[in-house]
Amino acid sequence: MMKNDRREFIRKAGMGLLAGMGAASGLLTGGGFERTTSAAWAAVPGEEGLRWGMLFDTRRCPEGCTLCIESCHHTHNVPDIASLEGKIEWMHKENGRELLGSLCASTAAVPALCNHCAEPSCARACPTGSIFRRTDGIVAIDYHRCVGCRSCMQSCPYGEVSFNWSDPRAALKNPTVEYPTRQRGVVEKCNFCSDRLVRGKKPSCVEACPEGAISFGNLNDPSSEIRRLLESSETLQRKPELGTRPSVFYII
Amino acid sequence: MRKRHILFIGLLAALLMALLFSFHAGTEGEAPASQAAQAAAVDSSSCVYPKEYMHTHHMQVLEDWKNTAAHEGPDAVHETADGRKLQKNLSTCLACHGSNRYFCFSCHAYANAQPNCWNCHISPLETP
Ligand code: SF4
Ligand code: SF4
Ligand code: SF4
Repeated sequence: MMKNDRREFIRKAGMGLLAGMGAASGLLTGGGFERTTSAAWAAVPGEEGLRWGMLFDTRRCPEGCTLCIESCHHTHNVPDIASLEGKIEWMHKENGRELLGSLCASTAAVPALCNHCAEPSCARACPTGSIFRRTDGIVAIDYHRCVGCRSCMQSCPYGEVSFNWSDPRAALKNPTVEYPTRQRGVVEKCNFCSDRLVRGKKPSCVEACPEGAISFGNLNDPSSEIRRLLESSETLQRKPELGTRPSVFYII
Repeated sequence: MRKRHILFIGLLAALLMALLFSFHAGTEGEAPASQAAQAAAVDSSSCVYPKEYMHTHHMQVLEDWKNTAAHEGPDAVHETADGRKLQKNLSTCLACHGSNRYFCFSCHAYANAQPNCWNCHISPLETP
């Protein structure tokens, strides 16, 4: 009679857990699960100053245009490797629905890059501290330290880190002298153009876009253009439910 | 009676999870972020240290720059004894020394020193 105790226990406890979680999710989350909530970008107490962010107005982003990607990859010596495994990408365009989830009405290709998460899971995974969040919100990689373990690739939920399986220089036709290349055995990804910001320039992709579809600015500054756009428009982030707090936003 | 008991255990687990979640949300404030530093100059008329010191210690200086430049970003600024501020970046060196394409290589070849700087940084020898 008491034989099925354990099964019953698990079943009922599980039912209770589900019921409790249902009630809790109603209490704890404000609004839709995937849509950007103001909490995702508003300054949290104790976090002041600079937090760089980017916003794509995909309505202005024409089908088939890859000017931002070309400009980024040229500026940062990102090699053009055709094979799927060896591919290196700092920026790429993907099906909007796949990128942003079911709330994205359009399946047109939208640009994607590292989200410079405020809670970057890549940085938590790195055993050598080579990938880290700077005080200005940029998640940067110190290529000098990277040992190529690829933990960051595994833990980035967006697949935004690429690995150099071969010498990237061999695949670079026309390198930009001002910016270094990488070497075999290190990872790389978008650096939010920290190399250009330090010289007072806007990111290369922002400058290259002829439609003005990309805004870049300080998410913690209420008077910045990006904050104005975030406040006046419905925006989406990639997988906000994971709690990584991405700094890249999309208007669909 | 027993049935209710077990259901209650599940509810308790859910409550605990919710509590944990709310605590986690409350610990988000981290180290204060600094304002964007205006980039320091990369050009200079004289070296960051006296020539004699650089002859013997440029590797230590560059090692320090290498370790701090990426992590501190715009805040990685080197202040010279006479008060000049320069960005810790190999391009700060090359702003002057890049004009002599063999500046690094003539000594390194002679001493058979093989630093790995040029695995990634594009050397003056490789520029057209
Ligand atoms: S998008 Fe990925 S690589 Fe970029 S900060 Fe977030 S977790 Fe890290
Ligand atoms: S591959 Fe490099 S950056 Fe990524 S986790 Fe390993 S050491 Fe860190
Ligand atoms: S911000 Fe800079 S590094 Fe990042 S995708 Fe744009 S151009 Fe590339």
